[in-house]
Amino acid sequence: MTDTAERQMELILPMVADIEIAAARAAGNLARELGMSGDKIDEMTHAIVEACINAREHSCCADKRIYLRFVGTADGDCSLRIDIWITDHGRGFDVQQARSRRQQLGPAHKRGWGLQIIEAHMDEVEITTSSEGTTIHMVKCEKKS
Amino acid sequence: MSEELRVAVDRRNSGAVLYTKGYINNVGGEEIANRAYELMDGGARTLLLNLRETKIVNSIGISILIEIIEKMIDQGGKIAFCCLTPVIHKTFQIMGLANYATIYPDEETAVKELDLQP
Repeated sequence: MTDTAERQMELILPMVADIEIAAARAAGNLARELGMSGDKIDEMTHAIVEACINAREHSCCADKRIYLRFVGTADGDCSLRIDIWITDHGRGFDVQQARSRRQQLGPAHKRGWGLQIIEAHMDEVEITTSSEGTTIHMVKCEKKS
Repeated sequence: MSEELRVAVDRRNSGAVLYTKGYINNVGGEEIANRAYELMDGGARTLLLNLRETKIVNSIGISILIEIIEKMIDQGGKIAFCCLTPVIHKTFQIMGLANYATIYPDEETAVKELDLQP
């Protein structure tokens, strides 16, 4: 037997204005139940907000839905981990091109920071994308003393 | 779902303190911009944005804040921020806003430094 608590949640949200707040609140509630600290939760929720906005603004998907899955685990040595998958069924994008475009634009260009913000706020970020859609898998961890 | 931002303005001799409450997204950023531009048109050259009651921002909202800062700098003025949560402070740094505006830990320090006493 392992001493591991796990909580899961799945949501399907319409791509409407401010829906990212609903996603962030749901993940924040799950993280609070697990005992994650406020600063870590805030970083995670800001990353979720940017991921949902990217899906809403750039995916051009026909179903106008964002699919979210959250899995939170708290293991016996008091380590917390939340895995988040945010999926759209849109046209996909070239991740390397998006990163290099942001670098080329430089700090003076005000838009296109979503991916950088996500990567700065999360511990792990993995993007899977094709012409059938995009999934961003993000992980937030916290070691409890 | 509605996450409307509210902005309260406290006029001071040389500028104003703007208190935001709520989500700074595209709509919230535009609301701040409208209030800031009204104040700038009225001669204000120093604005302090107190974000004590704003717990969440997004990159579109911050891009609008940077536009406001740039317009103020063009007019010879300055914009500063105070009372940011750690994650909002970090996000400002990622997007480079911290290069254009001073960020103070609290309003008392900011008001003193900016000469915005009531």
